[in-house]
Amino acid sequence: MAKTRVDFMGRKKYFFAFSGALIVISIVALLVKGLTFGVDFQGGTSMTLIDAGGVTTEQVRDALDAAGVPDTANATIQPTDDGGYIVRTAESDTARAQEAFAAIVESLDLPEQDANVTTIGPGWGKNVTDASLLALAVSIAAILIYISIRFEYKMSLTAVLALLHDTVIVLGVYAISGREVTPNTIAAVLTILGYSLYDTIVVFHRIRENAAGLTKMSFMDMTNESINQVLMRWVNTGLIQVIPVLALLFFGGETLQDFAFAMAIGLLAAAYSTVGLASPLYAIWKEREPKFQALKRKYEAQASK
Amino acid sequence: MKLKPTNTLALVALVALIALSVWQFWPVEDRITQGLDIKGGLSVTLTAEALPGAQLSEDTMGRVETILVERVNGFGVSEATVQRQGQSAFLVQLPGVQNAQDALRLLGEPGTLEFVDMTSVTDTATIELIGRQLEAEYSGETTSLPKLDAAGYEPFMTGEVITDARVTTDELGNPAVSVSMDGAGAKTWGEVTSRLAAFQGQVMIALDGYAKSAPAVQTAILDGDTLITGSFSVDEAKGLAAILQSGAMPADIEIDEARVVGPTLGKESLNQGLVAGLVGVALVALFMVAYYRGLGLVSVISLFAYGALMLGSLGVLSRMNAFALTLPGIAGLILGIGVAADTSILIFERLKEEIDTGKTHRSAAKSAVRHAIATSIDADVVTLVSAIALYAFAIGPVRGFAFTLILGIVIDLVAALLFTGPVVRMLAEGTMSKAPAFWGVKGGGTRG
Repeated sequence: MAKTRVDFMGRKKYFFAFSGALIVISIVALLVKGLTFGVDFQGGTSMTLIDAGGVTTEQVRDALDAAGVPDTANATIQPTDDGGYIVRTAESDTARAQEAFAAIVESLDLPEQDANVTTIGPGWGKNVTDASLLALAVSIAAILIYISIRFEYKMSLTAVLALLHDTVIVLGVYAISGREVTPNTIAAVLTILGYSLYDTIVVFHRIRENAAGLTKMSFMDMTNESINQVLMRWVNTGLIQVIPVLALLFFGGETLQDFAFAMAIGLLAAAYSTVGLASPLYAIWKEREPKFQALKRKYEAQASK
Repeated sequence: MKLKPTNTLALVALVALIALSVWQFWPVEDRITQGLDIKGGLSVTLTAEALPGAQLSEDTMGRVETILVERVNGFGVSEATVQRQGQSAFLVQLPGVQNAQDALRLLGEPGTLEFVDMTSVTDTATIELIGRQLEAEYSGETTSLPKLDAAGYEPFMTGEVITDARVTTDELGNPAVSVSMDGAGAKTWGEVTSRLAAFQGQVMIALDGYAKSAPAVQTAILDGDTLITGSFSVDEAKGLAAILQSGAMPADIEIDEARVVGPTLGKESLNQGLVAGLVGVALVALFMVAYYRGLGLVSVISLFAYGALMLGSLGVLSRMNAFALTLPGIAGLILGIGVAADTSILIFERLKEEIDTGKTHRSAAKSAVRHAIATSIDADVVTLVSAIALYAFAIGPVRGFAFTLILGIVIDLVAALLFTGPVVRMLAEGTMSKAPAFWGVKGGGTRG
């Protein structure tokens, strides 16, 4: 009946090994390199010099010094695509940051320009982190409860496990790439939680449908069959989710790219983990139930004849 | 094409909703409020901390808010807002403010409240400016008058002596403001009022260099307990009480976060967002039509329905002052495109599958729409749950993202129920079997 038939479940050991490797690499990267937190978490100032009039990074740093900005040695001065700079410093006093901006524009003799200055006090990062962790906990709890009610707890636990796997990988990619973690990154990660379950739910719906009155094959084979039945749904919904995200990544400005990067990685990981992790884990767990154990023995015996 | 009453009804409802939406969001730049990160301006988050030995009660927070509103109004910026966030924070938004230094100073610092004997002011320019400031204050207009020149007047006391100021009523039941002061204040106040009462001279009350009120002294007040009466509305009385209290801000105010965005950068970000959105929609539409043929066209129309309903809702919310579109909000809108198209995919794939089992188009469509929407609801609810958690618990700009995403998911389900589902069923009634290749499905069997 299915047009394409791929033996996903037969390759589950490779999937587990692959996932395990990704997780280990991510955790090692997180422990060794750690995450680079943006201005929002550390406190400090980020200012955009839209038109830098051709001055060099060193000139900007000297101007920072002259403007009395603290710890300029550790300030990052990042050139933008259109000839400006994004300057990040440790200044956490809002009014002084504004003055510094004006002083820099004047001392470097830059063209007159709008101020784009963000200053974050030292307490803000903790507030944001605490709130995000709370949102994360509530989100996972709610997802567990919803899937347990609509489906069953074994599905909810394997789905959430896959989701944690995706989250760790996204964070691992951030650690390895050294990309700055902003509150937008956190928001994207939190959204991936729900989004990444989209295709998992689609597959689980089919597994549940096929599991009713299952006698003709083992649970594992049925799971494989289910994935194949909804294969095009899995591919197409994933593609359609990722297209707008890539559009944001390539055409959006700084803020939008922040979201898009984390989401793009998250969506890829999520699409993979539905088939490579959530489904086989669920099937393995289900095959331990007496009813499906019997089926498994029956069809394994047949296969070995 | 034969129309079933329920399908027709759903489509009529949708067309009406879309028309209503377009009416609500067109022209976009007037109807949908833009956030500060787009239109430019200063956005500040302040946290209040209890003074030593005091508690951060609701009452204290309320008073801090009134004082902040009073200060913000003093900046003469239209559409400035002060918003409570969480337990102890306030989000202050000042659209269009570019010179943030002064604004930040004024917001974060305890105010300077001064009492001036008007008979002691001799500088004519100062007297004239006081007159204009008071006129603006009474008319409630926001203006950009300059501050009073400190050299032009001499206050006889400052806000530190005020121990309490609250709204009350006078003997006629009209709103009034009652003021108490400490011993030193009462002594000075007694001397000045004794002198001024004889000819009902005025005392000018200035906050941060702006004249706020100039009541005429009716009697000598020796114990400090003063009642300021006049033709106040309750709000005006509250405002004056807040001004008087601001000599003693009831909590420590700290600036946690300040973002200044220039209008050019904001405009540029908005344009980048629009380009990303259009490219996203175009690619999704292209993919849907290439893969699903005629059915793909149906989903393209449903994407437009999604867009119209979305913008319409944002237009209505903007008008209710409940929404401002920020960059994270745009990200939410664009991700919604994916959510919307996913529902179509689930319906179309299920339809193809049911036709493959040998069902007629009609019965396949009926069952496919029902099953696919059920799956879609489960998948959407899970996304919805995390978006709601984000909106409810997270702080900062990401709430704008969560909000549009939530709205997007809900509207997607509405569009699926009112449009994609009914249209697929209608097409399956006749058109689809006449040209199955165009609709991207097989011929269909006879099994019902």
